Amino acid sequence: MRPINPLRARGVYRAPLIPSWILIGGAVVVALIGAYPYYGSNAYVLSLLGKFLCFAIFALSIDLIWGFTGILSLGQAVYFGIGAYFVALSLKINYALTHPTRYGGKIPDFMEWNGLTSLPDFMTPLMNVPFAVVCALLVPTLLAFLFGVITFKRHIYGVYCAVITLAESLILQDFIIEYQAYTGGFNGITDYSNYVGAPFLWFILAVTVVFFVAARALTHSRVGTVLKSIRDNDLRAEFMGYNVANYRIFVFCVSAFMAATAGALYAAWVGIVSFLDAGPVFSIQAVIWTAVGGRGTIIGPFVGAFLVNGAEFFLSGTLAQWWQIVVGGLFIFVVLVLRDGIVGTIAGWVRKRRKGNFRQFIEESDQKAHDRQRDWDPQGAPRAGEEVR
Amino acid sequence: MVQSIITQFLSGFSVVAILVIAALGLAIIFGVAGVINMAHGEMIMLGAYTAAVVGKLGGNTFIAIPVAFVIVGLLGLLIERGVIQWIYDRPLETLLATWGVGIILQTVVKLVFGPELYYVGAPKALLGGFRLIGRLPFPYYRLFLIVVAIVLLGLVFFVIYRTDFGLKVRAVRRNRAISGCLGIDTARVDMMIFMFGSGLAGIAGAVLAPIKSVSTTMGFPYAVDSYMVLVLGGVGNLWGVLAGSGVIGEAETILSFVFNNVIGRLLVFLFIVIIIRFVPRGIFGYYERR
Repeated sequence: MRPINPLRARGVYRAPLIPSWILIGGAVVVALIGAYPYYGSNAYVLSLLGKFLCFAIFALSIDLIWGFTGILSLGQAVYFGIGAYFVALSLKINYALTHPTRYGGKIPDFMEWNGLTSLPDFMTPLMNVPFAVVCALLVPTLLAFLFGVITFKRHIYGVYCAVITLAESLILQDFIIEYQAYTGGFNGITDYSNYVGAPFLWFILAVTVVFFVAARALTHSRVGTVLKSIRDNDLRAEFMGYNVANYRIFVFCVSAFMAATAGALYAAWVGIVSFLDAGPVFSIQAVIWTAVGGRGTIIGPFVGAFLVNGAEFFLSGTLAQWWQIVVGGLFIFVVLVLRDGIVGTIAGWVRKRRKGNFRQFIEESDQKAHDRQRDWDPQGAPRAGEEVR
Repeated sequence: MVQSIITQFLSGFSVVAILVIAALGLAIIFGVAGVINMAHGEMIMLGAYTAAVVGKLGGNTFIAIPVAFVIVGLLGLLIERGVIQWIYDRPLETLLATWGVGIILQTVVKLVFGPELYYVGAPKALLGGFRLIGRLPFPYYRLFLIVVAIVLLGLVFFVIYRTDFGLKVRAVRRNRAISGCLGIDTARVDMMIFMFGSGLAGIAGAVLAPIKSVSTTMGFPYAVDSYMVLVLGGVGNLWGVLAGSGVIGEAETILSFVFNNVIGRLLVFLFIVIIIRFVPRGIFGYYERR
């Protein structure tokens, strides 16, 4: 009989997909946000709620690759931005059809300012909104796939990946500013019919819930275990026979898809998209939301996005310039002191309190397994303490 | 066309020089201490502000260079002791922490100096220029940049390859644990390297101030360019800096001339990604055994 390690054995203990207390807490939060149109009347808070939900999805996309797989991307806003620009352009083009500019043109105003008289041919497919939405979701995913194939297949990750993605988003930002006739340039795309209102808030909320549950399911599955092992020791994961590059590419694409969805929802919700939404600063901000909330946890990004952005909303007015110093200090504080973020730290406390019982359980089972091993004594095997020649 | 591309190639040397100057400090911080210093751009910015202040007080670039080296070097010491010494074992997180440091530096400078741009004049001796082949004017200051790049490269080469300190630095870079066992104070080497690299960034700022208006956000593009230089050139040895700057600087100048700035940068970026597809650790990469 072989000894059984209770942790390895299948079916002995497996945490539920969604622990009951998270189910309850999540339901309360979802109800609180979803019911806002009924109990709150502040339109600005309503718009902030939708915005923060998009940010939470975006932060989750970073958590998937950084917190669970160990790829730090500083250019995640590229995917967010491309998704947002596709949707915003499409909405703007359609808006211009029914709202001619001051000079009577039926093209977006920024195109007219830049001397275009008609919609460029390559943009006409975007008049179809569903097509634009599909583009907004698939183009970033494809881009991420290409990027992943080029870099991860050649063992480029860690610092190098961070630097390359950073440059990527800087270049996209420059590109948007330079080609202002097609992208709105420095001013971004503004003034189109956006969807602020209860139904779209519920839609964003539904997407958020789906993504968070999906992320939990992914990281909770066997694939998720492999991803975490890649984060902890990619070389060992490779030696165990897993194709590390393919796992990285896969999770990078999933993450890009999430970021693109967040961007598309964001553009439709807030009604303004600018080059900043695709730039490196926004990418790194989202990284810090994830770090503050707790990377490697699923609710961390949500908590981080809401807390940091909420704090910015409440404090940046009174602190003005000093707010930036607070943000900088937050970066240093999270790295030096609060390494696991808010959620991670709390989870650590909870685990410590439970540890007494859990460790007892493991030690007892280990002892049993050990005893069993003693009964099973193959001929010739050295006993403990016996010298081996 | 061919002739103008040749003149662009020649003027590209000054772009290469700028990249070398900006990337040198980063190369030794990143290459030796293994710290991803995102505050590098802000250090360059501080060097430039130092030059602006020195200029206001009646000095010129020649005086600003040593002053910036000392001031920004001391600041680097402060940052290393205050923040980075705790996180050497987590390189990706040095990135976040130094980004935070960068934001703080930017805001403080903005609070002190105000949001307006500063202009720093070139020293009188370096005003004017001469004509290169064709009609392309070549300012003396660009020539000066090339000289500075060569001198700084020589200085860093001397420090790293010919001094006692450099020997320790290379030993630590090769194998930190064994160096520690042999009695080298590795923490001290890291500290000195960070200080030296910061000082070099300060020099970069002081030298680059006259060719660019000085503002709080001027540093970030330089930092990103420097990182691209290191990614392409590799951090294995200092030739990587020269190789990376050479390829990026020339390619960017010529491509920007043929197409436009943004397309040029985009093409250079794609070019870099394709190159490191084949040499993942850069042209002069250091393949460490893990």
